Amino acid sequence: MQAKGENGKDRDIRIGVYVCHCGTNVAGTIDVARLREFAARLPGVVVARDYKYMCSDPGQELIRQDIVEHRLNRIVVAACSPNLHEATFRNAAAKGGMNPFLYQMVNIREHDAWVHPDRRAATEKAEDLLRAAVRRVRLHRPLELRTVPIHPDVLVVGGGIAGIHAALTVANAGKRVYLVEREPTIGGHMAMFDKTFPTLDCAACILTPKMTAVKAHPNITLWTMSEVVAVDGFVGNYRVTVRHKPRYVIEELCVGCMECIDACVFKQGKVPDEFNLGLSKRKPVYLPFPQAVPQVVVIDPETCIEFKTGKCKKTCIAACGERNAIDLHQPERFETIEVGTIILATGFETFDARRVPYYGYGVYPNVYTSLEVERLVNASGPTAGEVILRDGRKPQTVGIVHCVGSRDEHTNRYCSRVCCMYSLKLAHLIKEKTHAEVYNFYIDMRTPGKAFEEFYNRVAEEGVHFIRGKVADIYPADGDGRLTVQVEDTLLGAVRKIPVDMVVLSIGLEGRHDAPDVRRMFRISCSEEGFFLERHPKLAPVSTFTDGVFLAGCCQGPKDIPDTVAQAGAAAAEALALIDNGRIELEPNTAYIVEEHCSGCGVCVSLCPYQAISLSEETKKSQINEVLCKGCGTCVAACPSGSARQNLFEDDEIFEELEAVLAPY
Amino acid sequence: MLELIRRKMKFQREADPNWAVELGKRPGCERIFACIQCGTCSGTCPLSIYMDFTPRKIIALVREGFRNDALSSQTIWLCASCYSCAVHCPQNVRITEVMYVLKREAIKHRLYPKRFPIPVLAREFYEMVRRRGRNSEFWLVLRMALKTSPLSLLRLARPGWQLIRTGRLSLRRERVRRGFELERELASTREVV
Repeated sequence: MQAKGENGKDRDIRIGVYVCHCGTNVAGTIDVARLREFAARLPGVVVARDYKYMCSDPGQELIRQDIVEHRLNRIVVAACSPNLHEATFRNAAAKGGMNPFLYQMVNIREHDAWVHPDRRAATEKAEDLLRAAVRRVRLHRPLELRTVPIHPDVLVVGGGIAGIHAALTVANAGKRVYLVEREPTIGGHMAMFDKTFPTLDCAACILTPKMTAVKAHPNITLWTMSEVVAVDGFVGNYRVTVRHKPRYVIEELCVGCMECIDACVFKQGKVPDEFNLGLSKRKPVYLPFPQAVPQVVVIDPETCIEFKTGKCKKTCIAACGERNAIDLHQPERFETIEVGTIILATGFETFDARRVPYYGYGVYPNVYTSLEVERLVNASGPTAGEVILRDGRKPQTVGIVHCVGSRDEHTNRYCSRVCCMYSLKLAHLIKEKTHAEVYNFYIDMRTPGKAFEEFYNRVAEEGVHFIRGKVADIYPADGDGRLTVQVEDTLLGAVRKIPVDMVVLSIGLEGRHDAPDVRRMFRISCSEEGFFLERHPKLAPVSTFTDGVFLAGCCQGPKDIPDTVAQAGAAAAEALALIDNGRIELEPNTAYIVEEHCSGCGVCVSLCPYQAISLSEETKKSQINEVLCKGCGTCVAACPSGSARQNLFEDDEIFEELEAVLAPY
Repeated sequence: MLELIRRKMKFQREADPNWAVELGKRPGCERIFACIQCGTCSGTCPLSIYMDFTPRKIIALVREGFRNDALSSQTIWLCASCYSCAVHCPQNVRITEVMYVLKREAIKHRLYPKRFPIPVLAREFYEMVRRRGRNSEFWLVLRMALKTSPLSLLRLARPGWQLIRTGRLSLRRERVRRGFELERELASTREVV
């Protein structure tokens, strides 16, 4: 068999065919001996073998030896899915001194033996598939793996506990980290919690040391009031544009004395305080919470009188005095950085309890969400840690409703994982502070983690009532200002109506509402539930399908603090592994443009799902960024002139395979 | 005296899992195996406090194949079809449809809760309308009372007489003209298309 080689010289095509038994997976249905004999008779085949486990070391050694002994220049292996062992056999071919891409794999397991019970038909099909591969592989050209270098800097998006831990881990490894956070301070949701389960550690006490470590770390560049607005480039070579929103205070000059807040013309707070979820009010100039990092004041342009009317006495500036840290004309700035890897740690949003109207949130004043109650019990919260209702009373009976916005076809089907534990925690804290009768209404108690079940036992022994039943309705009790919780106590087997002073709704976790926009910017995907999509739910939970972008924390799915920190460490480790390697190898099954035939119509540019194609300014023809290209084939199929082609999937290769499958010679 | 102590255990021989699977294939019953037994249905049902088995327990009995318990319950006849359960159910189990399927099964197997007036009323009403095309209240209540608790007639006698006296309750057995047309209509519904 003759074919034109790469340098135009006629070359002998010498093909080696290997049929794998795969134990009984293939050999149990397909007559492997007959298949091997059939292969030996095909034109161009010099060696044909069958073996029990081709992927084993002796199996691979067979290939290597044959290449050397029989001067093979093409290999075909008929075995399992390329997903599993394409890389294995490419390596074996390379060890034999052959270009690894002069190799073709035939799936006679998942595509044949595992789906067809009839022995004769399955073997005939295997013969067709093998013949197609043998004819195709003749047309393969040698290809080279491309390597790109990895820039050592890392971008961490999001300054909650996940982002903080990831940033510290990477920085401690000696790499430079940019930590970008859109709020005026880092800390995320964890900074809002009071005590954390199951240890009842004070959240701020364990978080603030890490926050100050971030500020002090020489390798971390902390940017608050900042957002990523554009991401260009590819793995190892990202160019990220960051927008710095003005806080109207010069960060380097402010010492956090807060005299400006005291001096503000607003004598008391009038703006609903976002950190306290609207349960208290703040002034237009404020510090989000006492332990904020950076310890720098923020001015809210929506409510500051100077911004709205231009006629304020500006007592804040006077109070600042010589430090002169307030700049009411501070502009927004854009900055572009170069990083090699990105870790997304953008966190979650809570479920809007108004979507379950029969629980009365927003209608009855004494119905709270769990996050609001976290602020109530927190010593630096709106009620200085006392559990006081909106009408000033202290509750004597409290009902905690589990699974609000979770495990429900009408809202979110998934379980939010943390609510059972935080409901137990709130039950404990409320009972401790008020000695009220506390009822937890649950469907199942999910307490799987370390010391979680013991925590459940502790709270039960403290006399908290546990009623197994999903609350059916909440409505005002007759006249006395209380609310009635109606539920079937499934364990007692009776419907109960329980009057309570306070209802706490254990709301679930959701993906951020802007997740679809953010994910497009970083070129990753979202799952159906609205969280960022990991590469594989079990084997690759912190990486994404985009090389170089990693996930940490609740942006990937609801989880508690121990799991968040573990995942942040994992994301940091995977980023560091890339950086340490220094370079990454990319599959060569990419598309390329034959410039002579390209008419510059630009159809391919808008079709590429990875934005890997652009129209060149000078040549007015398409060009494909090989590093961004994932080899999906869309441009190849769409190109009207056929100038877009794909390595390993050339037209002639595909047609040979088709012909050989359909019309035997 | 020993009859006061009754065994409440359930043996596997009383359970028919095949019946459960078959029921799960009927229209409306597709999601009974998705039920997580949360109790929202019973909590929101306006009549659950009067039922021998709450709607949640009925689903549990059906899934395990305790056919006789489910079909001879008062629950399926007390259901008012208000759909509160189905609207609230977090697993979208169509509980109201399940109740109707169970009612039809009960009629098919002739299993009824003892002396319970609602299925008796349903049957008597249907028979009366089927035969005569009209419902005669006096005779309907009379038949129902005789079949459930005859002594209640003593209690009903006085208000019954008041109604008859003031012309509000007719003793006539009404019937439609051309009853064969009704027969034909009903027969056509039983035709298999």
